[in-house]
Formats: sequence, C-alpha cells, structure tokens
Amino acid sequence: MSEAATEHREHPRLYEIRIKGHLDARWADSFEGLTITLEEDGCTLLTGPVIDQAALHRLLRKVRDFGMTLLSVNLKQGNPHE
Amino acid sequence: MSTPILTTKLYVPPPRRGVIERFRLIERLNDGLYRKLTLVSAPAGFGKTTLVSAWSAGCAQPVAWLSLDEGDNDTSRFLAYLSAALQTVTAHQSSVAEMGDGILGSFQSPQSPPVELLLTNLLNQVTTAPEPFFLVLDDYHVINAEQVDSAITFLLDHMPPQMHVVIATREDPDLPLARLRARGQLVELRAADLRFTPAESAEFLNQVMGLKLSAENIAALETRTEGWIVGLQLAALSMQGRSDSASFIQAFAGSHRFVLDYLLEEVLQRQPEAVLHFLLQTAILDRLNGSLCDAVTGRADGTALLEVLERGNLFLVPLDDQRQWYRYHHLFAEVLQTRLMDKHRLQVSGLHERASLWYEQNGLPAAAIHHALAAQNFERAAGLIELAWSAMDISSQSATWLSWVKVLPNELILTRPVLSVGYAWALLDNGDMEACEARLQDAEWWLNTSGHREERPEIPATEMVVVDEEVFQSLPATIATARAYRALALSDIANAVKYAQQGLRLTPERDNIRRIVATSLLTIAQYAHGDVEAADRSLSDFRADLQNAGSISTAIGISFVLADIKRARGRLHEAASAYQHALQLAASQGEPMPVGTADLYRGLSALYCEWGELETAAQTLLMGKKLGEQVPLTGWMHRLCSAEAQICAAQGELERALDLLNEAERHYVRSPLPDVQPVAALKARIWIRQGKLSEALAWGREQGLSADDEVDYLHEFEHMVLVRLLIAQYKHGQADGGILEAAGLLERLLQAADASGRIGSVIEILILQALAHEARHDISRALVSLERALTLAEPEGYVRLFVDEGAPMDALLREAAKRAIASDYMSQLRAALGHTDARIPSTQLLIEPLSERELEILKLLSTDLSGPEIARELMLSLSTVRTHTQNIYTKLGVNNRRSALRRAEELNLL
Repeated sequence: MSEAATEHREHPRLYEIRIKGHLDARWADSFEGLTITLEEDGCTLLTGPVIDQAALHRLLRKVRDFGMTLLSVNLKQGNPHE
Repeated sequence: MSTPILTTKLYVPPPRRGVIERFRLIERLNDGLYRKLTLVSAPAGFGKTTLVSAWSAGCAQPVAWLSLDEGDNDTSRFLAYLSAALQTVTAHQSSVAEMGDGILGSFQSPQSPPVELLLTNLLNQVTTAPEPFFLVLDDYHVINAEQVDSAITFLLDHMPPQMHVVIATREDPDLPLARLRARGQLVELRAADLRFTPAESAEFLNQVMGLKLSAENIAALETRTEGWIVGLQLAALSMQGRSDSASFIQAFAGSHRFVLDYLLEEVLQRQPEAVLHFLLQTAILDRLNGSLCDAVTGRADGTALLEVLERGNLFLVPLDDQRQWYRYHHLFAEVLQTRLMDKHRLQVSGLHERASLWYEQNGLPAAAIHHALAAQNFERAAGLIELAWSAMDISSQSATWLSWVKVLPNELILTRPVLSVGYAWALLDNGDMEACEARLQDAEWWLNTSGHREERPEIPATEMVVVDEEVFQSLPATIATARAYRALALSDIANAVKYAQQGLRLTPERDNIRRIVATSLLTIAQYAHGDVEAADRSLSDFRADLQNAGSISTAIGISFVLADIKRARGRLHEAASAYQHALQLAASQGEPMPVGTADLYRGLSALYCEWGELETAAQTLLMGKKLGEQVPLTGWMHRLCSAEAQICAAQGELERALDLLNEAERHYVRSPLPDVQPVAALKARIWIRQGKLSEALAWGREQGLSADDEVDYLHEFEHMVLVRLLIAQYKHGQADGGILEAAGLLERLLQAADASGRIGSVIEILILQALAHEARHDISRALVSLERALTLAEPEGYVRLFVDEGAPMDALLREAAKRAIASDYMSQLRAALGHTDARIPSTQLLIEPLSERELEILKLLSTDLSGPEIARELMLSLSTVRTHTQNIYTKLGVNNRRSALRRAEELNLL
C-alpha cells in the first residue's frame, strides 16, 4: 500500500516481468526500455524501469495482445537510481 | 450521423476454409439462447472469432455482429454502431441520430449525454424483433471506457427476452459476471474449452491440412503448443509441402523459443520476397483492400497478393461478401508490426503517410487522421482534423474529435483559429469552462485585424492557417454562441443573452443547426432573465419552424419549455394547449413515445393542480410517472418528486410533501434551464404553513436572503417565500419592522414582474400584498390588491394560488364577497377552501377512459358478487379479472373496491 502511495512520477521503479518461452531480441522494441533475459528454464525475463502503474498496465496489455503467457510480475526495487 | 458507418464492422466474418467443426463448442453457444450472456474469453490466437463466426453461419436465429475497435471507447460512436448492428436484425428504420435529435435534451445535461435514454429507445426497437436473436460483440477487450461497460450492463439488465448477447474478448469484461453466473444467465467458454483437444489437433493437422503425421508427432506438437490454435496453424503452414515433418517437429519441440517467434519465422521464411515485403508493409493497416495496399506499397499487385494470402491461409479475414476489404488476424498483424519496426523502422512513417493520403482521397477522414497522427505528420493531421470538425460536432462525437486534437502540438493549434474554436466547443461539451474561454481567445486574436493585437508571446510568429474556409467565415458566430452556452451554464444571464443575440445575428440564415443552438440558448436566457414575453414570442416562432421542417422531437422538447414560459406569463390555458398540442404530436409519432413526453404530463398535471382539480392532477402525473420510468431522462426524479409534493401540499398532506421534497433534493441535477422554484424554497414555504418559523428562518439565512435584496426572476420565488415568512413573524409578534420591509420588497417585485409581463407572478405578489395588509388589519387596502389579483386570475381559473394561503385568505374572500367582487369566481374559490355552498362541477373526464370490458367489470364490482363469482359470470379466469380490476383502480386513481365505486359514481360511470 505504502509502495503505491509514495510512487512518484520522477522515480521509475524496476519491474521484472516473467513470460513463458524465449522471446526473440526483436521484441525489445515493443517492450522499449526493458532488457530481455532468457532463462535456463525456458522463460524470459523483461526487466527495466517502469514509470508508473499506467505504464505497467500498458506493458501487460502488450503481453496479452501478443498471446504471451504471463507467469509473474515483480517489483525489484523502489528506485533504480538508488 | 455524418461520420459514415463502416459496414465492414457489422459484417459477420465468413467461416474460413480449413477449419474443423467443433460441435461441443457450437452446442454450448446454442445454449446461449436460454441465457442472457455468452462470454467467450481467452487469449489471442484461441480461435474465438473463428468459432463464433462459424456458429453464426449455422445459427437458426438471426445474428447482429459488431467488431469493436479502439474508436468505440467514444460512447456516442459506440451507440451509433450498436444501433446500426441491431438494425440488421430488427429491420427498424429510425437511427440513433434521429433519437439523439433532442438538442434540448443535451441542454438539460450538458455533461452527461442521456446514454440510458438512447439505450432505452434502442431496446424499445429491439422489442419489436419478431424472433429471438443474438448480438455478437467481437474484440470487446479494446473497450476500456467505463461508460461503454455501463451501457452494456444496462442493456443486459433491461433487454427483452428475445435478445441474447455474445461477447468475445481477450480479457474478462467489467460486467456483473458473478451475478449473471449465480443466476444461471451466463454461458462461458474459456481458454481451457477453446484449446484444441488431442483429437481436434489430429483432425486439423491430418485431415484439414493433409499432413499425414504420426500419433506421436501430433502429441509432440499438441504438447509444445498446448493446444494453442494459432500455434498449430502456423506449425501446419510451416510443414505443408515439406518432406521432413518429423525432424521439423523434433526441432520445434526441443526449442524453448516462444511458439509464435519460432513458427512465424518458419512461415515467413517460406514466403516469396514479394509476399513477405507486402505482409510487413501492409501490417500497419487496420483494414486492407487492393487499392489501399497499392497506395501503401507503391506497387500494383495488391489485389492479386491479397488473393494469394487468402488462398494460402495466411491469416487474412474477409470483411465483406465482395472480397474487397480484408483484415489480418489481429495477433498476426501485431506480430508483423513488431517485425516491421525491427527491420524497417524508417519506412514506417512513410507507410502511414501514404495510407493517410489514400483515406483522404477516398473520403474516410477518421482513418486519414489516424494514419496522419501515426506518421507524426501533425501539420497534415491538423488540417484533416480541422476539416472534420463541423460534421463531427453536429453529430456530437466531440469526444473522438477531442482525443485527436489533444495529440497535436499546441503551437499548431494556436495558429489555427478554426481548430481553436472547435477545441473550445469540445471542451464545453466536456464541462471544462475555463479552458474553453482560453481557446476562444486564441482564435479571436487572429480574427482581430484592427492592428491592435495584444502581445501574445506564446502564439507563434507565423501566418494564420485556415483549411476550412467556410467554417472560418462563421467563426465570429460560433465563438459568440459558445460564449452564450458557457455563460448560461455559469448562470451569467446577461452575458448569455448578449452572446446568444450576437451569435444569432452573425449566423447565416442557411446554417440551421447553429441557428437552433443559438435560438434555444437565447430563449432559455431570456426566460431565466424573466423576459417571458420575448421568450414566448421567439420560442413560438421557433417551434413552428421546427415543426414545418419536420423536427418533431425537438419541437416536442421546445413545447415543454414554451408551456413553462406561458405559465409564467399567467396564460394557463395557452400553456395547457401547448402541452396538449405536444402530446398530440408525440402520439402521432407512435410507440415508443418521444423523449420528454413524461414531462408534458407533469406540466399538465401542475396546471390541473393550480385549477384545483387535484384528482385529475394526480392521475395525469401518474401517466407521466409510468412513461418516465420507461424513458428515464436526466433530472426526471427531481421534477417528479417536486410535482408530487405540490399535489400533496395542496391536499394538506404537509409531512408527505416534505418527504417528497427531500427526495427531490437528493435527485437534483444542475441544468441550464432555470430552476424557478428551488426545492429549498418549497420546503420553507411548507414550514411556514406548519408554523415552523425557526426552520424557515434558517433557510432564509442559509440562502442569504434579505428584504433589501435587488430583485431578479431567478430569486423571485424565494423572495415571495421570504415575504410569507416576514408576515408570519409579524403575526407572531416576532419582528414588527419586517412587515414594512416585506411591503417594500413586494413593491419592487411587483414592478419587475409587471414590466416583464409575468402575470402569474403579478397575481401571486398582489395576493401577498393583500395578506400583508390583512396582517396589519388594513382590510380596505388588502381588498384593493386582492381585487386586482382576482380580476387578473379569473379568466385563467387560478385556484391554488389563493387557496394555499389558508385562513387569512378565507377571511379576505369573505370580506370581498360581501362587496360583490367577482362573485361566481369567488364562490368557486371559497368552495375550494372547504365551503360546501358552491360545489365545483366535476366535468373532468378520465385521462385514460375505461375499456368496454373494464366498464363491464366495474358494474359487477358494484354488486355483491365476489371476485371468483365475477370471473364465473364473465367466463374469464380469476387472474384476468384481477388484472382488469387493477387497471380500473389505476385509471380511477384509487386502491380499493369501495373508493373505486365512489369515484365511479362521481364520474357517472355506473
């Protein structure tokens, strides 16, 4: 609760979105700003700063629209610049 | 509706070749006939559209289809398409544009268009559908506007039994699913149901695609794709004509790559260069046809390539029977776009640019604007948006227009006065008054050619840009009218009048719609200012024009305001004929009754109430109440409760009246139509009648009212209640000086009302003057005022205005009777005050006459026969007799047998 309440526009947060299957590098453009990491268990991690909740939901909508299987969404840390 | 309906959105996609029959799912969809909603909810690529369209093709019932897109988040556009889709099955000819004709309706609530009203009208049309049918809403996941979700919820709650809804979506919609589920009104097909079973995979791969795969290989594919249909389709396409299917499957099964990445790569690699290029370049298009594709690719083989793609099962969906328009399967298009961005990023804006040009040349401005914005060619977009404004504003799609203009850089808007004014109107429609004025001033800055322009550093030092020359010529009128609207919404009457007049003067004769807007604003402003004679004149002419022009529903809306104005002029009979005239017009329109009919009954009821015919008033209001429930107009509950309260008060049920007024207060909605009898003042008036002076005093303080106030029409009613309070206080010995202040206030009120010809007010003020003199025992002066009031009131038959003042008025009338003032009329008034020496003949017939059958039953009700005996006598079932009896009670305005008989006797029905 306090996480969301103190969220501020100038301080993007680092999120980690886990997708089933290995994504090609060309998806980087669609998930701009996120790093694509392929994991050994056959999953893909999209990691990077997300400016706010609205931006996060936009990313999740892309996951939905590309027919990808969403496994988890994690907040890595409050401020990537810290 | 000036923006054309794209019929391709209403086209049921034909079943694709190479699709397997899925009986188990078709049967579940058929179950929807016994439920309200069928929800097909699964991620992209699970064959939702294919399934529902295959089911539609074989469905015994008619199917109305609507493919949704982002633009449908604009409620008015969505409703236009919904209406068009429903018309394909109900064959009803009237359109939303016609239903939305209530320009006056939009004044009643500028910020919330009466969506429920439009939906109710739609549902009334649907009720005429002769057989059960389905409405399919495909791609519902694009909807994120709460208003559209509420519209669908309203639809589900109120639709007639022959209507069933099917929703296909990638995510569960924001509808009351749990409730529908619990009531057994929901059929659900989800990913688990949609994915191919092993048997279906086998049938698809081997029989439909002719691949001859072993059971082991099929199982491997099934496992790897998890029955995801788009995956299996791509796999099949990759293997067609390949001899080494087994090794392909092995490699695929052993890979961790995202199914779509792996397989699409395979499929695309197998396409000839020309096809691959075509796929990537045209992926930016929501809809494709040969000519548009040629424009975008700069080649001439668009039609031929589309045929190749369709034959090759490359995810192309036809959008019409002529094979002109197609679209890509959404998931396929989305993935192609990411590849386009990846490989040919620099080409993308050029592609959009060419698409925009094609759409412009082919008369489809919305798509042209979409692509111009996507190309980030804001200059071009600004020009197109400017040209689209006048048509779109009229069809009240201001939300869509506003969403375009908001994307433009501000410097561009600042140099374009037409865009600035369009922006201002769109902001008004959305209730943003301050931002609106700023945009109007931006536009005016350019119009000011006197050479004395103020310094506006933020306006770019370039030339003004005008694309729509015709609209530019009318800008002064449009700006003035926008200011009138704004002023009225802010209760600034003087400016509303000034600007509306200015707008009207500047609007050319032929511009009908703008004249309607300006005239309505002017008249409402005149009315709010109390200039009822002028308002009456202009509105009467205006109504005649509208009627001649065939705008019946606007004419009806106008009649209701016109009658209010005539009432204020003290012309009760003219008001009654205005209501009746409008009711006749409404009746000539047939079912469903046009918007605002309920308010006509309400107005008529108030007249009956004033004439002392309380029974008729109550019955008439009941008619309005029934209609109002069918077609709930904004603020209706407020007006209904307030009207009911006044009848109750006249009947002496003061506590009940107060309850109703409290309820009216809860339903109050602010509107540009003047609130001439505020609920708080009506309550205070009842408190005074009850002797609760401290409550009434608190009201006066709260409203900041004082006898020294300047007088104006909007506060007239409150001031008259204040006078009653001051008289009551004087009589209670609470404030001796107040009575003189009251006299002064009355004098000023009288002058103002006299000067504007508000005879209704004049009579009431004279009555109050008489009461003020009476309070000070100055009977002869009281009678002077009263006599003038009686002379003015007699021809129009006012009763309650006198009678509601109770005992002191009774005493004054007795005095007047002694002096033989207006004697016939006097006895009528005294009868209403409870004296039985002169009964008013009840000539009033029932609003809704009893039917033959009801009269027959009424006669039997007057005997000793019981209900079952009456049923036997007439050879009807008991429940039929009960229904008739209930109808008789309703029409007579009673609720039991004894009062029905008494009422029937009064009306000579037996």
